[in-house]
Amino acid sequence: MTEQRGRIRFSRAGVTYPNGTVGMKNLDLEIEPGEFIVIVGSSGAGKSTLLRAVNGLNPLTSGAVEIDGRAVPQREGRQLRELRKRIGMIFQDFRLVKRESVLTNVLIGRLAHVPGWRAMLKLWPQRDRDLAVKALERVGIPEKAWVRASSLSGGQQQRVGIARALAQEPAIILADEPVASLDPVTTHQIMRDLVRINRELGITTLVNLHFLDLARQYGRRIIGLRDGELVYDGSAKTVTDGDFREIYGRDFTEDDLLEEKE
Amino acid sequence: MFPERPARNWPLIIATAGFLAAMTWWSANGIGFSLIELLCNITGGGRLISESWPPDFSFLPRLADPFLETLNIAVIGTVIGGILSVPVAVLAARNLTLGRVVWFTDRNFMNVLRTLPDLFWAMLFATAVGFGPVAGALALSVFTIAVISKLWSESLESIDMGLPEAVRAVGGTWLQMLRFGAVPQAMQTYVSYALYAFELNVRASMVLGLVGAGGIGMILETQRANFEYERVALIVLVVLVAVLIIEEISEAIRSRLA
Repeated sequence: MTEQRGRIRFSRAGVTYPNGTVGMKNLDLEIEPGEFIVIVGSSGAGKSTLLRAVNGLNPLTSGAVEIDGRAVPQREGRQLRELRKRIGMIFQDFRLVKRESVLTNVLIGRLAHVPGWRAMLKLWPQRDRDLAVKALERVGIPEKAWVRASSLSGGQQQRVGIARALAQEPAIILADEPVASLDPVTTHQIMRDLVRINRELGITTLVNLHFLDLARQYGRRIIGLRDGELVYDGSAKTVTDGDFREIYGRDFTEDDLLEEKE
Repeated sequence: MFPERPARNWPLIIATAGFLAAMTWWSANGIGFSLIELLCNITGGGRLISESWPPDFSFLPRLADPFLETLNIAVIGTVIGGILSVPVAVLAARNLTLGRVVWFTDRNFMNVLRTLPDLFWAMLFATAVGFGPVAGALALSVFTIAVISKLWSESLESIDMGLPEAVRAVGGTWLQMLRFGAVPQAMQTYVSYALYAFELNVRASMVLGLVGAGGIGMILETQRANFEYERVALIVLVVLVAVLIIEEISEAIRSRLA
């Protein structure tokens, strides 16, 4: 883990989709290693575009993203794979191989680290198995290792998703609406897991959220996007309702909050 | 208020029905198909059936070896074809292929395989390796590739691309994306199609026997040529039972996979 850093720098970065939609406009942003960042904005504001630009799932159409001083390659290939190796990603819909065991799902996080033929035959080296088990222990479900992914609850599936990311020994974790398909109780558990892992391991963590109260509660630094542009960048402690109004371009309602307001 | 039912497109409905009726009338005329003649001559078919009844069960022991040969031909054809159809299907699936040129080439390759009939392949391989079961098995391999790759490439196109993207996101290669992202989602349909292809192959190996590709079809052809209709009836019965058994087994396997 000597190489772990995880500094991200966007410079004049832009994404225009083939259909003309602007997903990111002239973004300048610097993220320090180990930061925990929550990205907010209404749907279509470019939250996913930003995350997916970090690991090259969405290529930029202008400008650049750098990770630890190395530009993110803008096309598929060995260099991009080399970079993705150290970037974990967590998805709203978990994206697990439902028919496979939890352990195999976590080992998918090791794909880029093991020889190709071993992965194809699922002959995972012992060191990688150990890492996968450790990742499962860190999210608190080692006893589920041999269970089929499809038989887990939503919260447990998302924990497997987190374990898969951890198994990569990542410098950065990208979480794209990680709690959007979970109930409120599980939502808080998953958010606490993400915060704890960020503190314990110092992995730079970027989380997309659309609930304002969650952003306030768990974010340390909040980034607000609106129509692909950066409209807010500041501490979660000092963010005001006025700032949120500015980010959303409207008054926010109960729909924007996870918990009901008393 | 409940909205009024939208007006139907009567001209289109009438035109479609008229077109179908005209096509049917034209085709029936073309081949001299007439219901009245059919009803008058139906007794001729009855004669053939009465001559083939009852099936000659004393002939059954002599069917054992050719029948096993038919199964062997079908198994080899399904295994070889089943393996080779995997890359053919993957490269023909728009969401997984390696670029437009590869996709286009593979699609057309598949179309050629499908367009040429299995009898053609049997003749082709018979001239290459000689008449016999090996030629039959090779012809069925091609036939199996044609069947499975067409059906399975469509299943592959309908998978959820979220998981393959997740494999990409951890730094996985194209092959790993297939192995862990795409194939697990379509594994069940693959097994279904392979079993279906096996069923078709047992049936097809009867036809292939007609051109000397061995198996039960060859016996069928000799008995038919000697007007031994009671034996022909037995052979047809045996194949029917075999196909029904195979279907039962594959149904059981499929339901267990779900």
